[in-house]
Amino acid sequence: MAEDAGSGGDSLQGRGPDSGCRQPLASTSRDGAVPEHQQRRLTGGQGRQRPPETANGEGDGEEEESEEEPGQSSVRTEPDGNHTDRRMLRQQYRQLINRVQQNREDMLSSKSNSLTDALQEANKLFSGVSQAREAALDAQFLVLASNLGKEKANELHSEMTVFDSPAFAEDLLTFMGLNRLEGEENDSDDESIASGFLPNNAWHKLGAEAERYFRRSPSFHYMLGSFKADPPVPRQRIERQKRKVGTEEKRAMPSQLKKMEESHQEATEKEVERILGLLQTYFKEDPNIPISFFDFVIDPTSFARTVENIFHVSFIIRDGFARIKLDQDKLPVIEPSHEEEGRENDQNAQVRNQAVISLSHQDWKDIVETFEITEPMIPPPGVSQENES
Amino acid sequence: MAQKRRSKGPGPSQGELLAAEEDLAPTQSASQAPRSLERLSPAQVDQKVSELVQYLLVKDQKKIPIKRADILKNVIKDYRGIYSEIIKRAGRTLQQVFGLQLVEIDPRNHVYILVSNLPRLAVENLKQDDCTAKLGLLTVILSFLFMKGNAAKESAVWEMLRRLRVDPGVRHEVFGDVKKLVTEEFVRQKYLEYNRVPHTDPPEFEFLWGARAVKETSKMQVLRFIAKIQNKDPRAWSTQYTEAAAEEAAVGGLFEDVSTPGGASQGARRRT
Repeated sequence: MAEDAGSGGDSLQGRGPDSGCRQPLASTSRDGAVPEHQQRRLTGGQGRQRPPETANGEGDGEEEESEEEPGQSSVRTEPDGNHTDRRMLRQQYRQLINRVQQNREDMLSSKSNSLTDALQEANKLFSGVSQAREAALDAQFLVLASNLGKEKANELHSEMTVFDSPAFAEDLLTFMGLNRLEGEENDSDDESIASGFLPNNAWHKLGAEAERYFRRSPSFHYMLGSFKADPPVPRQRIERQKRKVGTEEKRAMPSQLKKMEESHQEATEKEVERILGLLQTYFKEDPNIPISFFDFVIDPTSFARTVENIFHVSFIIRDGFARIKLDQDKLPVIEPSHEEEGRENDQNAQVRNQAVISLSHQDWKDIVETFEITEPMIPPPGVSQENES
Repeated sequence: MAQKRRSKGPGPSQGELLAAEEDLAPTQSASQAPRSLERLSPAQVDQKVSELVQYLLVKDQKKIPIKRADILKNVIKDYRGIYSEIIKRAGRTLQQVFGLQLVEIDPRNHVYILVSNLPRLAVENLKQDDCTAKLGLLTVILSFLFMKGNAAKESAVWEMLRRLRVDPGVRHEVFGDVKKLVTEEFVRQKYLEYNRVPHTDPPEFEFLWGARAVKETSKMQVLRFIAKIQNKDPRAWSTQYTEAAAEEAAVGGLFEDVSTPGGASQGARRRT
């Protein structure tokens, strides 16, 4: 490891007699490339700086590093004191680096603080650094220290794995049978979601695996199906609630009755309107001929329907939408009233004229026979009108 | 507790059990239950116990915990006085006939669930339906919660699930409304707890393990599931492994206390 330090080491070795621990310095660069690069950068800089600056005294290494061997003997005007300090500093740095290098195991041990101590020492040394050359050594030490730090961190990880949920998700997808080659491209717009084809039974597969880790009680199911488990339960509940809360029952009753009445009334109204509609259509077809009341009202197939029809027609008469009169044969005919005022007159008249029609089953039979009614003019509700006309 | 210990020694049939109970009844004159027990014929009590067993089995289909109030209202009715006796016997029947354990997950509100006591066979379960898939999803969530320190923000859970193509805003082809499934169904079934994080505006929610999850599985089981999926040793996650092992030790002790003798041995077998 020490040997691969490359040109950095070589150049250092070629330096003056001041640096007793040069070799260790070279060896400190565990990753040769980094210090080398640093030094090159440094020397380059210094090479430029040098001329204006007062060059330092004794054959310093800078010239050698920048491979300007001939320039080494250039002017040296730097004070000796400063220079000695710098030399001392460099030596201390090299010693520190050497020490850290020699005691790698101790540094890596999670129990010792030696790496921290070394860093603190380097910090102290750095306060005295004024020139790039010393700074380079400091940087070299830092590279070493951070490498050690990384190694230390790695060692921690090998003892304790941190849960990595993205990795877990990936493994889950793999387990579920994700086919990464096939697949929906639209998924890949989000880079955090793996693309690929996920089979339909993916979650079932995972669930089957998961079941092994559960003490879930198997629930029974009916072989031929059944109603779901739920419906009977609410029904039971409702019954009990009703029994307990008597007031609620009372409250429910009237509202229900009202509803029935309403609906019944509505049905009558609808039926009356329907019959009025029929009457008006018949009359439109033949405006001048009044329709025989019996023809209109009698349903030859049903006595009940006949009575019902009379009942409904009576509403029409009461409201003045139609009127009943006797024709020349003294038979009742029905015709709708068309004029507004006519209807009004009729309404007034209706108040005065009330009539009760009695119709027995025998009467109905006789009428059907006498008038030869074969089809009802008012079809029963629900039967379409085409049958009629 | 004392009653339970005295009624040890499960008989092979319920008839025998009942007979044993009758013998015991006079010695338990201290409590209310045995006195009313004497007034009822064994057949009547037997009938009630069967009804309760059936009721519990049907209710368990939905995996929603069963409340004592519902049991009283729908099954026990007039037998309220001997409720504890009936539920004890029903628990024993479930244990001996179905291999199920009746567990009270909330002793304060008296809420029960059924948990299987028999070890799972290594063969793949033949019955796979959407419940299986849901269990898969649930296990993923439980795994995530456990590994993240037993609680996680809702947003973190969804972020994780989105990687598995489960998005709360998108209808899932298996799960349908996933958000509803996770935040309502799993919560109602007591697999998950879903709580608002205090002092958050807009409100944030976090998930925890629910009481049913604690009973049906364990931290160690979930860790083993993760290890299987990630193809690692469960001990690789040393923090979680330590926690899971500690829980296993604690719960192991608890099982011996709470369950009937048969249950304890079953619990132990599961842990191996």
